[in-house]
Amino acid sequence: MKKNISLALSIIVFSAMAFTANAQQKSKVQLNLNYNYGLPMGSFKNDIISDGSARGFSGDLMFGINKKFAAGLSSGFQDFYQKYPRDVYTTGDHEVTSAVLSNSIQTVPLLAKGSYMPLGGTKSFIQPYVSLGAGISLVDFRQYLGEFGGSTSSGNFTAQGGAGIMIPFDKKGTSGFNIGATYNYVAYKKFGYGNLNSIAFQAGVHFPLK
Amino acid sequence: MAGIIGITLFAASCTKEPLNHITPEESRIYITDYDSSVNFSSFKTYSISDSVAVISNSANPKERSATDEAYINAVKKYMAAGGYQLVSKDQSPDIGINVSRIYSTSTGIVSYNNYYNYWDPFYWGYSGYSYYVPYSYGVYQVTEGLVSIDMFDLKDAASSGKINLIWNGLVRGEGIFSTVNADAGVQALFSQSPYLQTAQ
Repeated sequence: MKKNISLALSIIVFSAMAFTANAQQKSKVQLNLNYNYGLPMGSFKNDIISDGSARGFSGDLMFGINKKFAAGLSSGFQDFYQKYPRDVYTTGDHEVTSAVLSNSIQTVPLLAKGSYMPLGGTKSFIQPYVSLGAGISLVDFRQYLGEFGGSTSSGNFTAQGGAGIMIPFDKKGTSGFNIGATYNYVAYKKFGYGNLNSIAFQAGVHFPLK
Repeated sequence: MAGIIGITLFAASCTKEPLNHITPEESRIYITDYDSSVNFSSFKTYSISDSVAVISNSANPKERSATDEAYINAVKKYMAAGGYQLVSKDQSPDIGINVSRIYSTSTGIVSYNNYYNYWDPFYWGYSGYSYYVPYSYGVYQVTEGLVSIDMFDLKDAASSGKINLIWNGLVRGEGIFSTVNADAGVQALFSQSPYLQTAQ
């Protein structure tokens, strides 16, 4: 885990340095803002929260290296919550507890990100893209039996892959709509729970900053 | 800075707070624990105190409010459903049952170490005996209060030289000191303790 976090931090620092250096060359900087719908996957879905969440957003600050590649930083927020009907849980050797179980997870990713537009530089109106990111996610996990519970916070290695399309508002093409999705791998090992992987369906806008 | 604060506030507003989305009924939890070495079907009779100990730092009176009575009656109802016969404490009951209300103390901790202050073993006819809690369930940390129902083995007290705690049920959460919620709480405790059945 420590190696993963160190690697992620190194990528973030390296990318930020590259971003700063290139920004000083007065190159194109683009801001993407997205509304996110998060859908838990795997053990996250099976063991903690199965409901999707419409409470999320994300933003990318991307530097255009050339007409096909961009690199930058990405962050966001996603809230996951689910309340399970009353059930009986084993809470000790012979101790059992009847309770309504509530799970609540908030994630804030901090990622270094790169994107590739295969039709960049062409006259294609719609620009598809793929993206890769890595970094950490700040995870706040709260669990309640009835009204009694606790919380734990942690930083966890995160890798992200995404794809989508960009549709410009006009022929000039500097601003437009984004539609896409990302798969988020969030390494998590606490209380017997596994990774907090999810898919985020995204819709938003992009526009140049300079 | 204003942007960061704005984003933080927006994120907070997007968070679904779990405690804001549960009803009083859903806030309540029912916890049971028992001594697994005990054969509950070997007991036939029980007696229950006719009042409730109020356990707190400030005082330790015995009371019998309408809610206390509702809890005591509910215990009688579900013990009868398990086949146990109610007898007076003078008729050598196999099981003694105490019901307590525990409120938050300045330290927030109440322990079975002080249990004799509230329920003197003399009450059960075993003056000089001490209670024995065989499993590590003695310390409570509470914020609002709880109802505790304790079952003790009186049948084997003389031979073992102590009054063993054999079962404990706790009710916690909103509205537990309401008369209308007492029966449902005790029912939950007994339904998750199917071993509380006497031999037919």
